[in-house]
Amino acid sequence: MIALILRRGALSLVTLFLLVSFIFFATEVLPGDALDVSLSADEIATMPAEVMARRKAELGLDRPILERYWGFLGGLLSFDLGRTIITRAPVADIVAMPLRNSVALAGVTLLLALPVALAIAMAAAQSKGRALDNAVSGAAIIGYSIPEFVTGLLLIAVFAVWWPIFPATITASTDDPLSVLLAAAPLAIATTIIGSIAYLGRILRVGLIEVMAADFVERLHLSGIPRWRIIWLHALPAAMIPGLSAAALYAASLVSGVVVVEMVFAYPGIGAELVRAVTRREVHVVQAIALAAAICVVLFNLLADLGIAALDPRTRR
Amino acid sequence: MRWGWMRREVAVAEPVLQVRDLCIAWRGADGRANRVVDGVSFDLAAGATLGIAGESGSGKSTLARALLGHCRAGSAITGGSLRLDGDDLAALSEAELARRRGRVMAMVPQNPLASLTFHIPVGRQLEEVLRLRAGLSAGPARLRAVELFDQMGLPEPERLARRYPHQLSGGQRQRVVLACAIACDPLLLVLDEPTTALDKTTEAQVLELIRRLRRARQGAMVIVTHDLNVVADICDQVLVMQHGRIVEQGPVGAVFAAPREAYTRVLLGAALRVEEASRAAPALPGPALLEIKGLGFRYERPSLLRRAPLGPPILDGIGLSVARGEVLGVIGESGSGKTTLGGIVAGLLGGQAGAVRFDGKPLPGLAGQRTREQRRRIQMVFQDPLSSLNPRRRVGDAVMRPMRLFQGLDQREAARAAAALFEELGLEAGLLSRFPRQLSGGQQQRVAIARAFAAQPDLLICDEITSALDASVQAQVLDHLAAMQRRQGTAMLLITHDLAVVWRMARRVVVMQGGRILETGATEAVFRNPENPYTAALLGAASRAARAGRPEQAEARA
Amino acid sequence: MRAALRRPAALLGGLLVVLHLAVAIAAPWIAPFAPTSLLDAPLEPPGATYWLGTDDLGRDAFSRLLWGGRVAMLVAFAAGAVAVLGGALLGLAAAYRRGAFDDVVMRLVEMKLAVPTILFVAIFVTGFGQSVPVLIVAVGIIQMMGVVRTARAAGIVLMEQGYVRAAQLNGESGAIIILRELLPNVADLLAVEFALRASSALLLVSALSFLGLGISPPTPDWGLMVEDGMALLESEPALVLAPALCIATLVLGMNLAAEGLADALGLDAARGGGG
Repeated sequence: MIALILRRGALSLVTLFLLVSFIFFATEVLPGDALDVSLSADEIATMPAEVMARRKAELGLDRPILERYWGFLGGLLSFDLGRTIITRAPVADIVAMPLRNSVALAGVTLLLALPVALAIAMAAAQSKGRALDNAVSGAAIIGYSIPEFVTGLLLIAVFAVWWPIFPATITASTDDPLSVLLAAAPLAIATTIIGSIAYLGRILRVGLIEVMAADFVERLHLSGIPRWRIIWLHALPAAMIPGLSAAALYAASLVSGVVVVEMVFAYPGIGAELVRAVTRREVHVVQAIALAAAICVVLFNLLADLGIAALDPRTRR
Repeated sequence: MRWGWMRREVAVAEPVLQVRDLCIAWRGADGRANRVVDGVSFDLAAGATLGIAGESGSGKSTLARALLGHCRAGSAITGGSLRLDGDDLAALSEAELARRRGRVMAMVPQNPLASLTFHIPVGRQLEEVLRLRAGLSAGPARLRAVELFDQMGLPEPERLARRYPHQLSGGQRQRVVLACAIACDPLLLVLDEPTTALDKTTEAQVLELIRRLRRARQGAMVIVTHDLNVVADICDQVLVMQHGRIVEQGPVGAVFAAPREAYTRVLLGAALRVEEASRAAPALPGPALLEIKGLGFRYERPSLLRRAPLGPPILDGIGLSVARGEVLGVIGESGSGKTTLGGIVAGLLGGQAGAVRFDGKPLPGLAGQRTREQRRRIQMVFQDPLSSLNPRRRVGDAVMRPMRLFQGLDQREAARAAAALFEELGLEAGLLSRFPRQLSGGQQQRVAIARAFAAQPDLLICDEITSALDASVQAQVLDHLAAMQRRQGTAMLLITHDLAVVWRMARRVVVMQGGRILETGATEAVFRNPENPYTAALLGAASRAARAGRPEQAEARA
Repeated sequence: MRAALRRPAALLGGLLVVLHLAVAIAAPWIAPFAPTSLLDAPLEPPGATYWLGTDDLGRDAFSRLLWGGRVAMLVAFAAGAVAVLGGALLGLAAAYRRGAFDDVVMRLVEMKLAVPTILFVAIFVTGFGQSVPVLIVAVGIIQMMGVVRTARAAGIVLMEQGYVRAAQLNGESGAIIILRELLPNVADLLAVEFALRASSALLLVSALSFLGLGISPPTPDWGLMVEDGMALLESEPALVLAPALCIATLVLGMNLAAEGLADALGLDAARGGGG
């Protein structure tokens, strides 16, 4: 078991390294550079060449690509994520709090969505083909067909405009304590939860239906073991295994995938930061955010793999 | 071994199981009811063992489950009655059925690996049955579970109880599910294909265990199987099913000695009878066509550093030869390496040790490395007829392709040649334009044979070509193949586990086990006087049905 | 196909898609005004002349609605086609070759899946501009990953089939085997994948336009309309809700059609992973 953890961990680090390199090269090898974009056309035309050269040197944009790569990697290891181009502020400071906020949103969403999705999936799987199952499937399709910004706007329209129960946009700011922030964002949380329940519920339902048709479930049924026991002690753990990988992937994508919801509700998260950085060609900020996302993905995949190894004895031998 | 706990009180007069005109049907997409079991009636007394024999699609598995009051989703009992100990199971509610399951009636399912929960140790699974169905509390249940494992013949029962299903061998798993089923000494025990997935040695052991159980119990036993040899071994009565109906029923000795119905005769006809003469064709004169010396094969772990072997060798020191026009039978069970051998000769697998020579010249491993002529002259027919043909292409296309590839025939010439080939195999020329799914299993396999012969090969490799076919069709396919082989003078490597097929077609035979050749020689000699004990065991198992028809066998079975 | 049409959900889905397509194609003829012309009547409420009112720049919302699906649907269907064709070839090739090639392809797919979608497109767009062809390629690549996995899984099963082995025995080349034997047998799977990928792509394009990273103004687009009208949600809800509803119904239609098709073909739509 320890050997398994070490091996998977090593593999994850390698993957992380490759991802990080990919992120660097993808963002830095593009035609044109940040300086060209951040200055207006007039400024570029009127700025003398030496001044341009000096500004570029300051920002390190004139060094060859490989040198910049080493610098990038070195900086990472010492947790230095560089500085923004325009304001020369440390990227880590810019990214830290929004990252925390997005992770919090994703975490709360998952915590609330997963049990509900599981319950819905179990109910649907047990009444397969009948009214409840069809209703659940129908609701799920609608749930993941509607774009998140539409759901968000609909919620605002109903609960903030028609019946002013909740605030439409977040009134808390980036650095507020999490409890304040999350309490001020009920509609945002509701939006992400709806999408999550639809997606996860669908996958879990299919997994459960497959397991319920398995031979060992039939044997237990023919032995007279009560249904609830079959489901909770035998079928559910078996169904969790494929569901776990899917859920992990989804969880990882949630952190950056909530971009749209953040924009709709003006939630001070990492997605909003990303859009801002992209439009201003703030390369270092984009890299930092991409790095955070990559770490999330690798971490969650590792956890899912370990979870599967814990649940499924067949993988251990 | 204390079997005394199984002596339950059973009224001997009344039959334990009374089935009358039982009908089970499922509703198709168009709303029509399709009968899977159609008007089945039989009685089963206490202490008796009934064998329900039939091929796939006969309805025997559905009937087996119905005996426990269970119908798979979409089907239901639509008529008749099913009385167990006086109660009509067809009329009971689900709750009442659940009360009886595991205690009064139990089932041993077909595939033990899939039938055990993979994430729970086997001991705990048996304990669950004991606690919930036999009413034992945790401590006594644990002790009883170990005791039961011991009675089933499982080694080191305490340690084994802590293992997971995938860590046990096939035979051990079968004993575990058997233990779960007899835990409460049910009145009716149903076994669904108890030995199908096992190799012949393990099968003999498990059958011996079932025989002991039979003697110890007072309840009734039903064994569902497609293998008449198993029925001959442990059943006293037999029920032959086809298309949901009973074709013939009666005591095993009587039915096997003098079957009244044609279908029963066909099923029994497929059994091995070494007293009759072999009809295999003799070899043609000349040097050997295929020579194999010291062939070895193992899987290798794809490592960047070095080729690391993965697992035991699949083939080890194989040596054999096939003369022109000769049919060599390769006998072995699953895991013997016979399919791998066929794959290597055919060119599907590469990277082996040893030498393979074809027509005097070395034969490279993979087909891609061989010459066109070599590829043309060696052809193969596979086990599953449906997967042998591309479902999206017309059957004629599949047959014409090798002709156009190797002989350069144009469309019209190829069509004519294909039609002629079909005729020789007993297929109408009109079938050329059909798709595979429109043909029956036997027709599909004959098309696959036609495709193989279309290239006019000198060596044909047949890998279990009749295993997936119904018994009634197997004889037909083999007859056509034999006729074709004689006419063309094609040599054949006939790979199979079915001894009767080898007896019918092959002049010489090779017996494989665990990647090695145990015995080789003329079929008649080997089958009548096997030298190797493994061969003797195989022959013994395969001829039980034939011997069951003889009166002196009746006492031996009791 | 017929079996799919028998299911009410799939029928509804197909109807929605056809309806949207018809409107989008006929837009130039049926729209009362040109979508980009600035009429001199900003922020008019819905009325007789302007059925849905006008936006803050004075453009007729109804006309923009009719035109709004054109570019998004073009990108979505084109990207879907790119994803399915590229994904199928790559997946089947990986299934055929196995070995090192297969490993590399799968690692690439996993890595690509690790990169967040919006980020990927953002990088693409900042590098190559925000034109329609660039969007098609970027969205197509994102959707391709799921198709590669599905095609590869199906391909691996197919490689075990007798007819593929027979072709290998006869020395047929890899390309021929992939095109003649494998591809036709995954055709129905690919049809379902196309429907799923196109609907995913549409969601993505709308979201990107909403964020300002997708279709650029002044081209009329539903996502852009939602972004524009968001601030006016309280006063002019129609400006936001109408395009939102259009996106939702089109994607829903595609998904229903995809599920119906998968059901009729005996496949499992929920299996389609990633992307």
